[in-house]
Amino acid sequence: MAFVYIPVQNSSEEVRVALDQLPRDATDILDILKAEQAPLNLWLTFAREYFKQGKINEFLLILREGSSPEIDEYYSDVKYDRIAILNALGAYYTNLGKVEQKQREKDEHFISATQFYNRASRIDQDEPTTWVGKGQLLLAKGDLDQSYEVFKIVLDGQPDNVPAVLGQACVQFNRGRFQEALNLYKRALQVHPRCPASVRLGLGLCRYRLGQMKKARQAFERVLKLDPENVEALVALGVMNINTNEPDGVREGLESMKAAYEIYPYCAMALNHLANHFFFTGQHYIVDQLMDAALAATDQSKIKAVSYYNLARSYHTKSDYTNAAVYYRASISELKDPREFILPYYGLGQVHLKLGDLRTSLSHFEKVLEIHPDNCETVKAIGIIYLQQGRTDKALENFKKATKQNPRDVDAWVELGELLVSTDFGQALEAFKTAHALLTKSEEPIPFGLLNNIGVLHFERSEMESALQAYRDALGEGIWVDFSEGRALSLGREGGLPISITAENSQFEHLEEEGLSLELPAEKVTVLFNLARLHEQQHETQKAVILYQLIIHKHPQYVDAYMRLAAMALARNDLASSQELVSKVLKVMETHADALSMRGSLELKADDWLKAKETYKSIQNTDGKDSYALLALGNWNYYAAVRGERKDPKLEATHLEKAKELYNKVLVQKPNNMYAANGIGIVLAEKGIFDLSKEVFTQVQEAAAGNVTVEMPDVWINLAHIYLAQGQFALAIKMYQNCLRRFYYNTESQVLLYLARTHYEAEQWQDCKRALLRAIHLAPSNYTLRFDAAIAMQKFSTATLQKPKRTADEVRQSVAELKNALRLFSQLSGVAASHGHGFDEKKIDMHVEYCKHLLDAAKVHLEAAEREEQQNRQKQEVARQLHQAEEARRKAEEERKQQMEKRFREEEARRLQREEEKLRHLMAGWNTKKGGGDNDDDDNGGEKKEKKEKKKRKKKEKKREQSSEPEEEGNYRSPTPEEEDAQDALAAAGLLEESDEEDMRREDPPPKKGRLRRALSESDDEDGSRRRRAVADEHLADSEAEMEYPKGLEDSDTEEQRPVSRRRGKKTRLSESDED
Amino acid sequence: MKIRSLKNLANAHHDSIWAATWAPATADRGALLITGSVDESVKIWKGDELELERTNTGHALGVVSVAAHPSGSMAASTSLDSFVRVFDVDTNATITTLETSPSEAWLMQFDPKGDFLAVAGGGSGSVKLWNTNNWRIETPLTIPNAEANDVRPTERHSGSGKFVLAVAWSNDGKRLACSTMNGVVAIFDAVRGKFLHTLEGHSMPVRSMAFSPIDTRVLFTVSDDKHIHMYDVESRSLISAFSGHASWVLSVDVSPDGSCLATGSSDRTVRLWDLNMRAAVQTMSDHNDQVWSVAFRPPGGDGVRVGRLASVSDDRSVSLYEYT
Repeated sequence: MAFVYIPVQNSSEEVRVALDQLPRDATDILDILKAEQAPLNLWLTFAREYFKQGKINEFLLILREGSSPEIDEYYSDVKYDRIAILNALGAYYTNLGKVEQKQREKDEHFISATQFYNRASRIDQDEPTTWVGKGQLLLAKGDLDQSYEVFKIVLDGQPDNVPAVLGQACVQFNRGRFQEALNLYKRALQVHPRCPASVRLGLGLCRYRLGQMKKARQAFERVLKLDPENVEALVALGVMNINTNEPDGVREGLESMKAAYEIYPYCAMALNHLANHFFFTGQHYIVDQLMDAALAATDQSKIKAVSYYNLARSYHTKSDYTNAAVYYRASISELKDPREFILPYYGLGQVHLKLGDLRTSLSHFEKVLEIHPDNCETVKAIGIIYLQQGRTDKALENFKKATKQNPRDVDAWVELGELLVSTDFGQALEAFKTAHALLTKSEEPIPFGLLNNIGVLHFERSEMESALQAYRDALGEGIWVDFSEGRALSLGREGGLPISITAENSQFEHLEEEGLSLELPAEKVTVLFNLARLHEQQHETQKAVILYQLIIHKHPQYVDAYMRLAAMALARNDLASSQELVSKVLKVMETHADALSMRGSLELKADDWLKAKETYKSIQNTDGKDSYALLALGNWNYYAAVRGERKDPKLEATHLEKAKELYNKVLVQKPNNMYAANGIGIVLAEKGIFDLSKEVFTQVQEAAAGNVTVEMPDVWINLAHIYLAQGQFALAIKMYQNCLRRFYYNTESQVLLYLARTHYEAEQWQDCKRALLRAIHLAPSNYTLRFDAAIAMQKFSTATLQKPKRTADEVRQSVAELKNALRLFSQLSGVAASHGHGFDEKKIDMHVEYCKHLLDAAKVHLEAAEREEQQNRQKQEVARQLHQAEEARRKAEEERKQQMEKRFREEEARRLQREEEKLRHLMAGWNTKKGGGDNDDDDNGGEKKEKKEKKKRKKKEKKREQSSEPEEEGNYRSPTPEEEDAQDALAAAGLLEESDEEDMRREDPPPKKGRLRRALSESDDEDGSRRRRAVADEHLADSEAEMEYPKGLEDSDTEEQRPVSRRRGKKTRLSESDED
Repeated sequence: MKIRSLKNLANAHHDSIWAATWAPATADRGALLITGSVDESVKIWKGDELELERTNTGHALGVVSVAAHPSGSMAASTSLDSFVRVFDVDTNATITTLETSPSEAWLMQFDPKGDFLAVAGGGSGSVKLWNTNNWRIETPLTIPNAEANDVRPTERHSGSGKFVLAVAWSNDGKRLACSTMNGVVAIFDAVRGKFLHTLEGHSMPVRSMAFSPIDTRVLFTVSDDKHIHMYDVESRSLISAFSGHASWVLSVDVSPDGSCLATGSSDRTVRLWDLNMRAAVQTMSDHNDQVWSVAFRPPGGDGVRVGRLASVSDDRSVSLYEYT
């Protein structure tokens, strides 16, 4: 036990004061000191002792008293002790200022400190300790340069003044000049080898900062040897150990921290590190306790910041974002500059992101980025914020940056890929593949979501093999492998009944009974669905069906599988199954928009118009935003407009308007909906505004061509219709042919019919016939096609026979074609009689008669032509002989040339001339002879035939009229949306949110047998109109052409003129041949 | 089981080729390939080099179908004008011309013994059987109306659904199958001339059928629905279904050993299916337009060990494959 002895004045006695038993009230001591006039150093001793015991007030009381003016006066000669007291006070206030947070108080403390030092200097301005104190004050104020100078003053006088050396060392350390600081610490040690351990601590810290880890460690260890309980050294060593990042090191480091904690539970730094450790081991409650302790123990703002951060982080991981935000903010408020400690900013950014406060979040992340512009995580976080704000461009930019900064960041690649999906499949795929490659390289498991995305993108790009691989990788092992590879397509007890599209598949139950696992984890259903879609796309329908059925078997609520099966059944024309499947969906989900749409199109297909309309309307009612239903209703109105059952122009116009309105509505919702645009084009075309509609169609065609997942043959056909209507036959033909080949594998007889129609308009009869023959071959039961083919052949013959000049071959060909036409007509007549295909027997018979008649006429033509041909041959023969004779003569002449005289030659020439004249005469004779024959008509039977002919002509003209009517109507195939398609797959994969628009395909207009018959029974004319009606009929357009196509009518008007006059010429010819 | 392309003869006809069959080998010569085209001609080809043996003219409108008598010396061809011309393969002499107006003639097949020629009767909804001895017509085999116009609701023209497109004889000559535009496949007892039943499964036109040469119960049908079905005609059950063609399947033939199936499709390919694996084993892309007919060469003839498969297409070419 230490004692202080106060000498009693004027005696040799002393008062003994035990240091650990200082009176609580310092006034007692002061009284003694004053009374005994004790030496000043004793005053200081007591003050120090109180300080050490944390009794700051007592400390201050003694020193204040000790530095009071009376003392100054009384002890005026005891300079050194007076200075020491003042310096002690100075040092105290310096320290107060140093730790004070608030600027005003801080300044006040520093001012007090300065005053004490100044007083000390007034007593003795050379006292080194005062200078050292001043230096430390400056150091605390952060005025490093001045501080350095002050210490220098001391050192200039006393080069070995250890405190000054240490002060300078400290300055240098704070200046970041660790080498200089190190040298100074070394000097201090040399001068004073028994320096307190803290000097060695400084040494160690310098070395640490200089990266001399080994020596730093030695220094710290030496400190600990000298002072085993030196907390700083323990913490420093601990930090060093933890930073080695090796398990052993970390453990040792934590040991050090724990030791430090045990020695001095208030060392906030150690607490922070420990908290950090417990945070990562997940013992959050310990973290909380430690941090509470740390916060109580320290005033160091930086350390407090760390403590608050640790607390916040602890709440953060517990998903208590509100509290986390509070503590992150507390942490930040401890900091003067984000540079000091950036993590809470990042944390706060994350928390706000979680809380949905994007703007605040963004501002915090941006602060992080200011200081660490290359921080990949932050760049990514900002990217996500932009994404949530819908600023896709900026988000994209950020993720691109992130991947550039850290090309090995899998998450960044995945995010980038997902961002790109909506705009650029190729780049998105690249991003996903990069992520895939990175994961593969590091041998990490690849999430099946990523594989699924890769698969979907390959699928979209029609890279089916790669897509298949990706899906299979994503799915892993399971029963589906067998299904997908086609090993087990027919299962069950019966030894191989194929799975049916609709049946409740007991096969699966059998399989399960047989002990086969059909386990299908919920998260893999989507991938499996995608795989099925892929097989479907590959036309491997059996595989697709079994996979869809498996999905339904295990997850009956997955209605998309039902929908696909229904679509597949529809594609196979299996309407009953399709209906059954759709009903199943609707039983589960009454308002499922896709299922209702499908039901609507099925009803249309079954010709149940009113029901279909009701169905579409019900979709509208349940889901006002379903653009598919809008579109379908638009189509419905269009069909209704051109359906022509009620030939009420007003009604038709109303329907067209309604259709247009609905299409426009779709376009407002989805400006990129090609089907609605196509619809608008159709309405425009129906109104005869061809230029505009052509523009619309062209744009739609371009848009469709740019999208690999969309197939829109309709728009090609519509464009071709426009070309046809405008008389650009070559273009129309090209367009129809391309469309046939590109979309239909040349199997669509309907388009062939359009093609034939175009050839017909272009008067290319043979091409027309060939197109029709193909169409018949594809659709042999469509008798209209046969009728059309017969008409084409009849037309060909008529046209050929009308030609002013034609060879016998041509006539022979037209005779052959007439025979074919006759054959077809006769057959049709027979069919009409026995089966009633909607043909009027009488009319066909009329055709038969006409063909027979024409055939008779043609026979005469043929004879004439053959005769003519014969004559021509003879003529040619004569000419040839003449030529030969002449040749021979010339040769002879040449032989005799030398002998013959000029005169003789002249004579010869004359003779030749005579000869030629004779020939000419002969030829003229032939001509007159022929003409004479024509004139030789007797009027006897002529009149009768004339009459007949007239009748025929009348009929023909009527036919012309009729036929010109329906001519121009385009039959715009209208877009009928199909069910969800590939988009579904995407949607299912979570890649797209809305997916209905692009995924629609046309469907054939519904059957209209009723109308066909009607149209035919209404027309009381013959061939042309029938034929055209037939064409028109398929398109629901009817003879209202004038109404729909003013321009078309114009065209047909002029058209009408031409053939009429031509026919007149033909009439004479026909009567001619009749008479012949 | 595989096929290998031997030759693709471009421009074998002036226009699309719609029909092909093999006339079996006779004592004097090997098997001949007979093709029919829209160009109104029937051509006969010899050997692996597809040397043109003869061109038969006389048809009007496109030639739809050709059929060869099992003897190899007689064949029939028919065109869109529905006249059937029966001729001597080696001399081209017309044996007879058949007509059953007003019904159309579509695909044809001689029965395995050669006693009858079955002609798909188009809109008549029946199969016409011609006795090859006297060229008289037997009672037509008609699909009952209830079956032909069954509930399939998609027909646009009344009655067109029962348009009979194709016929096939079972190898023992006891069963005759015919198929229609609406997908109905009807089975007849050929001996008694009786309708038996229909086979369910197709709802779109069935344009070609073939019985297995090794199992008389097994019938293969192909349809516009892109599928190939394998039926047991006695139990009326669908044994298996094959998918893979991207468009209509137009033609089917079974290899003489009964282990393989060849199909031709609008998707421009010829596929070979292994009946044991029940899967497509090969896809040939020799043609660039619809493949209207595929035909395995019947076995027989001198020194002919390996099989041959021929295919014809809208692209006017004939392709020959080696089948091993």
